[in-house]
Amino acid sequence: MDEQWIQSVGIDVGTSTTKMIVSRLRLGRMSSTFSLPRYQIVERQLLYASAVHPTPLIGADEIDAEGIGAILAAEYERAKISLSAIKSGAVIITGETASKKNAEQIVHLLAERSGDFVVATAGADLEGVLAGKGAGAQKRSLSIQGTVVNVDIGGGTANAAYFYRGKAIATVTFHVGGRLIRLDKRGMVQYVSPNIKSWLMAKKLQVQPGIQLTVEEIGEIAGEMVRDMLDYVTGRDRQESGLLVLGHQLRERIPVEELSVSGGVGQLMTDRPVHTMAQVSEYGDFGPMLGYVLQQERKKGTYLLRWIDPEQTVRATVIGAGMQSTKISGSTVHIKPELLPIRNIPILKLELTAEHLHDSSRLHSEVAAVYDMGQRLFERTTEIPFALSLSGIRYCSYQQLQRIADELTLPYRHQFADSPTMVVLCELDMAKALGQALELRCKGKPHIICIDQVRVEYGDYIDLGEPISGTIIPVVVKTLAFDEHTSIKGGTR
Amino acid sequence: MEQQLEYLVDKVVAELQKKLSERARNGSAKALGAFDGSESPVHVVEEERGANVPNPKWQEGMQELLDSTPARIGVWRTGVRPLTRTMLQLRRDHAAAVDAVYGEVQQSLLDEFSLFTVETQYDNTENYLKRPDMGRILNEEGVRLLLERCQKKPQVQIVVSDGLSASAVDANLRDVLPALLDSLTSYGLSCGTPFFVRGGRVASMDHIGELLQPEVLVLLIGERPGLVTAHSMSAYMCYRPRKGMVESERTVISNIHRQGTSPIEAGAHIGTILSKMLEQKASGVKLVL
Repeated sequence: MDEQWIQSVGIDVGTSTTKMIVSRLRLGRMSSTFSLPRYQIVERQLLYASAVHPTPLIGADEIDAEGIGAILAAEYERAKISLSAIKSGAVIITGETASKKNAEQIVHLLAERSGDFVVATAGADLEGVLAGKGAGAQKRSLSIQGTVVNVDIGGGTANAAYFYRGKAIATVTFHVGGRLIRLDKRGMVQYVSPNIKSWLMAKKLQVQPGIQLTVEEIGEIAGEMVRDMLDYVTGRDRQESGLLVLGHQLRERIPVEELSVSGGVGQLMTDRPVHTMAQVSEYGDFGPMLGYVLQQERKKGTYLLRWIDPEQTVRATVIGAGMQSTKISGSTVHIKPELLPIRNIPILKLELTAEHLHDSSRLHSEVAAVYDMGQRLFERTTEIPFALSLSGIRYCSYQQLQRIADELTLPYRHQFADSPTMVVLCELDMAKALGQALELRCKGKPHIICIDQVRVEYGDYIDLGEPISGTIIPVVVKTLAFDEHTSIKGGTR
Repeated sequence: MEQQLEYLVDKVVAELQKKLSERARNGSAKALGAFDGSESPVHVVEEERGANVPNPKWQEGMQELLDSTPARIGVWRTGVRPLTRTMLQLRRDHAAAVDAVYGEVQQSLLDEFSLFTVETQYDNTENYLKRPDMGRILNEEGVRLLLERCQKKPQVQIVVSDGLSASAVDANLRDVLPALLDSLTSYGLSCGTPFFVRGGRVASMDHIGELLQPEVLVLLIGERPGLVTAHSMSAYMCYRPRKGMVESERTVISNIHRQGTSPIEAGAHIGTILSKMLEQKASGVKLVL
């Protein structure tokens, strides 16, 4: 096998709009025929992009699951794609939608109706990173020396992701979005999101349902909001603007060299004038004004950074989810195809140092500590409790490998006796050797899945897809580290 | 005047050599620490690689480039020539390459894996280098030993040879061979009597194939040393090796060393390749991996 295509789908259920894409990813062999096989995703093609549908809601805080199912069914039909052909992909329930009460139900439904692929339910952090990749900010950061930030502004939230030399280094989410203040045609306020009330108070801005605003007043509110967000992103000021932040605050000030704005509001950043109330309230909210004031800020150039045009605007997140969420494992791995796919496994990290590799007793106590933590953190189930991630090994000799395998298997079989499968992830290219060493010790009790060249962190969840050509598996790493919507963490288990 | 100058140059050179050998000692001590002391007979020097460029315009970019290649980049210069340090490092690596060719595999290592030794008709290293054909055929004593001590018609025959780098065997055999044996166990493959060939060339597997008639044969052999590493090993694999094999019938995993293809992972993967060869009854370009 020298190359192979896999089809991947992305679905983005946002606060105001829902969209899906289908893409195909080409796996190409990167190593010579004289080396161990090593594959990478070398090309990503967009096959189909759906129309941007309004997200169907029942009442104010419930997503219409059936409505979303119907949209997807129609789009799959139009795209002429069979569900069975889809090997990977991600579903993202974004922004405020994720806190809507039936998010979990939606995830289940989408998992069933979107093909038997790897499903990811994202938190705002992953969403921001995927949007940044979809908007081209990650790629851009590889061609300049400084940091590139993409802010994806949708209906409910704005997700900022910082990229440096191709790596996502920070994310932050704001309560900034078009649907946070809704207006009728006369400028009468219909709804104000409770999430921005404390910020409005601090800014002494009087906005509540029932009062009528002028175009200038709406412009002032949008302007304050946009400038506070940009102040926060650039680190210029984080006092009042901090009230707009959803979830974790940024600790450091990161110098920003280039900035792009994607999402629905990013698309509204045009020179089209927004002077009349009809123009402002075109979508029944103040989104067009947000776009307009952003464009004004860009023209004024008060921030010491370069504004760049994103490659995608309203579809940045869904394109990121469909085309950029999937990674592939190393090609020399230890797997049993019948055990896959495995979804939503939390990560437990075993960080090894040179001392651990030399001293069996230290390795023993380290493994014991990590396993105990695994037992405390993750409820006892008859399922796979966690995926153990090995890191910190620079070179592993056969003797060290034997020691690691010994120390990992005995206590696992004792402490997690009900687990049918042991999942181990390595950073270093050693999965086949380690998997084989573990298998020789366990003989199927538990089964062993050992893959490598996957980097994960504490708090991540991982989905492992069905093998491609028997040897490589698609992997989606879900960074939920700062996700506050714990209700959907359980996701599709 | 001239005498004074010579004296000065001598002193500077002596000082430099002292510094360099100190650094090499520190380096190898660090590398030794990665083993369990007694485990390592080979001094694998792993140095922190930094650029010599004074005040690079973009430090991180420089490091990215260095991390992307083992080649000697960012070495800087003095006038139009390389720095003395760069020059000495180059000569040291060259010397290590020469040593690898002229060195011998440690007997204790061969004993550890109960490998007995046979020789080809190479005679001596000088001749081995000039006459590759003589490294492809075992000598009479070797043929006799094989026929006497080895299991005939095994499923898998493992052969180890020094080839062009004895230190490659010293550095990697302890990791590659047991991982390979484990892999054979996992696949349920049986293995004949492994042995060591002194003065072997890749095609010596053909002659051994004629004698022992294994279904598949894997030859772990030291590669021609280069300036990046002198400890690189290859695994050549063949389905039913025999006289008149063409090179396209051999499958190879090369570049097995600490900084290249991981030795344990290579060992495990060789087992997979061998099992596929047995399944498909083919090797080389005909084998579908």
